[in-house]
Amino acid sequence: MAQKVVIDPITRIEGHLRVEVEVENGVVTDAHIIGKMFRGLEPLLTGRDPRDASYVVERVCGVCAGSHGWTSALALDEAYGAEVPAGGRIIRNLILGAMWLHDHPLHFYHLSALDYLDIMAVARYQGGDAGLLAVKDKIVSLVNANDTAPLTPRYAPDEYSVNDPELVTTAVAHYLKALEMQAKARKMSALFAGKQPHQSSIVVGGVTILPKLEVVNQYASMLEEQISFIEDIYFPDVITFGTGPLLPLAQSDIGTGYGHFLSVGAFDRADNRQDPFFKPGLILDGNLANVLPFDEQKVTEDVTYGWYQNGQAQHPYTGDSTPDLSKPDAYTYVKAPRYDGKPLEVGPLARMLVMKPEGLMDLVAKHNMKLGAVARHAARAYETVMLAQEMRNWVEALKQEMSSGHFRIHDTDHWNAPNEGKGAGLAEAPRGALGHWIWVKNRKIANYQMVVPTTWNFSPRDESGVLGPAEKALIGTPVPDIENPINVARVLRSYDPCLACAIHLISPDTNEVRKFRI
Amino acid sequence: MGKYDVLKAKGVSRRDFMKLMAVTTAALGLPAAIAPQAAKAVGEALAKPPVIWLSGMECTGCTTSTISTINPSAAELILDTLSIRYHEVIMAGTGETAEQAYAETLAEGNFILVVEGSTPPNEEKDDYCIVAGKPFRKTLLEAAEKAEAIIAVGSCACDGAGIPGASDITQAVGVRELLKANGIATPVINLPCCPVKSQTVIGTIVYYLTFKQVPELDSQGRPLVYYGGLLHDNCPRRGRFEAGQFLEDWNDPEQKDYCLLLKGCKGPKTYTDCASVWFNDNANFCLNAGSPCSGCSEAGFYSKFNPLYEKNDDFHVPGVVGQISPDLIGAGVGAVAAGYLAFSTAGNVARGRIGKKSKEHGGDE
Repeated sequence: MAQKVVIDPITRIEGHLRVEVEVENGVVTDAHIIGKMFRGLEPLLTGRDPRDASYVVERVCGVCAGSHGWTSALALDEAYGAEVPAGGRIIRNLILGAMWLHDHPLHFYHLSALDYLDIMAVARYQGGDAGLLAVKDKIVSLVNANDTAPLTPRYAPDEYSVNDPELVTTAVAHYLKALEMQAKARKMSALFAGKQPHQSSIVVGGVTILPKLEVVNQYASMLEEQISFIEDIYFPDVITFGTGPLLPLAQSDIGTGYGHFLSVGAFDRADNRQDPFFKPGLILDGNLANVLPFDEQKVTEDVTYGWYQNGQAQHPYTGDSTPDLSKPDAYTYVKAPRYDGKPLEVGPLARMLVMKPEGLMDLVAKHNMKLGAVARHAARAYETVMLAQEMRNWVEALKQEMSSGHFRIHDTDHWNAPNEGKGAGLAEAPRGALGHWIWVKNRKIANYQMVVPTTWNFSPRDESGVLGPAEKALIGTPVPDIENPINVARVLRSYDPCLACAIHLISPDTNEVRKFRI
Repeated sequence: MGKYDVLKAKGVSRRDFMKLMAVTTAALGLPAAIAPQAAKAVGEALAKPPVIWLSGMECTGCTTSTISTINPSAAELILDTLSIRYHEVIMAGTGETAEQAYAETLAEGNFILVVEGSTPPNEEKDDYCIVAGKPFRKTLLEAAEKAEAIIAVGSCACDGAGIPGASDITQAVGVRELLKANGIATPVINLPCCPVKSQTVIGTIVYYLTFKQVPELDSQGRPLVYYGGLLHDNCPRRGRFEAGQFLEDWNDPEQKDYCLLLKGCKGPKTYTDCASVWFNDNANFCLNAGSPCSGCSEAGFYSKFNPLYEKNDDFHVPGVVGQISPDLIGAGVGAVAAGYLAFSTAGNVARGRIGKKSKEHGGDE
């Protein structure tokens, strides 16, 4: 008989999420992903001065800071007919680039690693490294005090848990280093952004900061420190784990989805939205060789199972976010974005499959990795290296602009709202494709809609009953022990929704809720 | 079986459990060289009142801002400065362990409650924020009643009129309003700004732990030490205002440090220490980045302060009888500013000058 496992609350995310899966014969057979908080940011914007949008929507998320303000500004640029000068474009890239260097390692070390580490292995470390020995001493003292329980893994170690003492002890040491580096990456971004989270610098037409050369140099030197960390510690750790102890997981089907991937591209390296560093493209049905062009006109949002007023699936220009809590079949505040009717996976894996960098594709082929949980981590680490190295070029490009004699950061001619205009802002956030759509009428916002990465990945069923991408990826996930559904958490975390899980088990017969930790 | 179940089975007390949790964090979160320090910190932490940090209708920005601290480091903050017993985003425990830690800290009493985000105002709106299957509003009321003191971090928690509260749909409110409506008298310290600064959070908690009392607050419940000064009086661009120099083109190096009033700056009616205490390890703040103040430390942000980039509002200027209208400023800036200078109290002017500390910021890496 199918048993229902409810994960609620999912902590360590912005907002509140709940996941329900049905488990039969040791595998997940059905999944519902549920958003439990509504803030109403889109309706709030209606009737406001359009320029306010990029400032207000920055407040959607304090984790992937900058992404919403940037994407909103791109939508506004289009609606206003603004042409962002090179200086403004490059500074926007540098503000966001630093935030990606913050987000990706943090996801690996602080949100995901504990899924895979048997922390108690630290006690068995036999090496001679002074730093690692000190970590070991601390653990051993706990063992001697018979006080090990809080260090015991949060779930019984399973076949995918890493228990090599040196690997685990090193990972713990790197966890510490990453904590320091995330704060430094935010600071780096703030040099141009004003503050992080919730930068103020990005506005329609460009940015507000006319930087001093000394600040650019400070940014450049902080970038080198980040690159050292990413190249010497973060990327090697991900590869060591993914092709070592986690190779069986990498080669399994766990967490593989539809094979529909979308990148909308980001970080333009030329004016007029040209030459993005991350390329836009669409992959359907796992046909990696055939990257299709992406047409934003084909994006619709379905609310059949969302707590929103019913209607036809709409393009975001005309979509509506008025809640309706009385709908009997609805189960989430998350809408269901579809592309030509298809649910798409977004994020680092999608971006890398669209671009197919040789190093990563060789790695995937050599180790026969499936496009599941481990591949998502590997793609995330690989693109961090690519991006960090590319950012050196942007710093140089900025310096060149500054010394060109015609350095500009803002299109001042298009600062006032047009009487009417439409704009689509498309960019990549660390977690995946992000879209903002604005419709300006009578110099005010007539409609504003966002389709965010978590909406793509964690969307509910649509009117045809087609599951969202992560719901689909959960189907078939092994849960050999119903009290230890750690694989469900591993799959969900591989999308970087920033979650650690608490499990609530509901017996379908008694509806009794039993809680336990994983 | 959860960790705490295992502990209970072994007869380990709640206090021992918390100690172990802190040591766990030390093992995971601190460089080896300061391990002895960490052990000391555990002892100190146990001597401090516990902290429960609740997150409602929020974006997690106040948490990420708080842990973006470099001096002290995030690890030091968590271990040496605070004894955080419950925080959904950063605590080691989740699920049942987290909820038990919450329930037991609640039962113990004498804890500090930190609240991030706004809350639905009443039962009718409860469905807009459900955490762990329970209305967030009820959890907040329950914790507020037992807390020694409450610190509301960020504009949403302070008066709800922050970004989510501005929506007519949810009618979200801040902590003070919710408590007032429910007759709960626990003192509330409001620490607005979007996001709150890490220095403000750390400083307020340390102040409370040291003096065991709520710092002196203004009418909006904000500590005067952080929110007692008008941004306009301390603005690094104040001299430009007085000289009637207003930025109109961000591209012009000549205008780089001009007053941002015409770009919609709300500094003349915003009380905050932003001019002297900057964000991200003192790297920067809005005005220094050429961005007008949005008034995010004031009750009514954002609904009261929009449009953000328009000189739309009349505003009162300290020491001046009547108002300066933005149209007037557009027409005859220099004269009005000169008039302001003449009417200013000596104290205001002095503070404005003293507040200029830009040389001390940035460029310190």
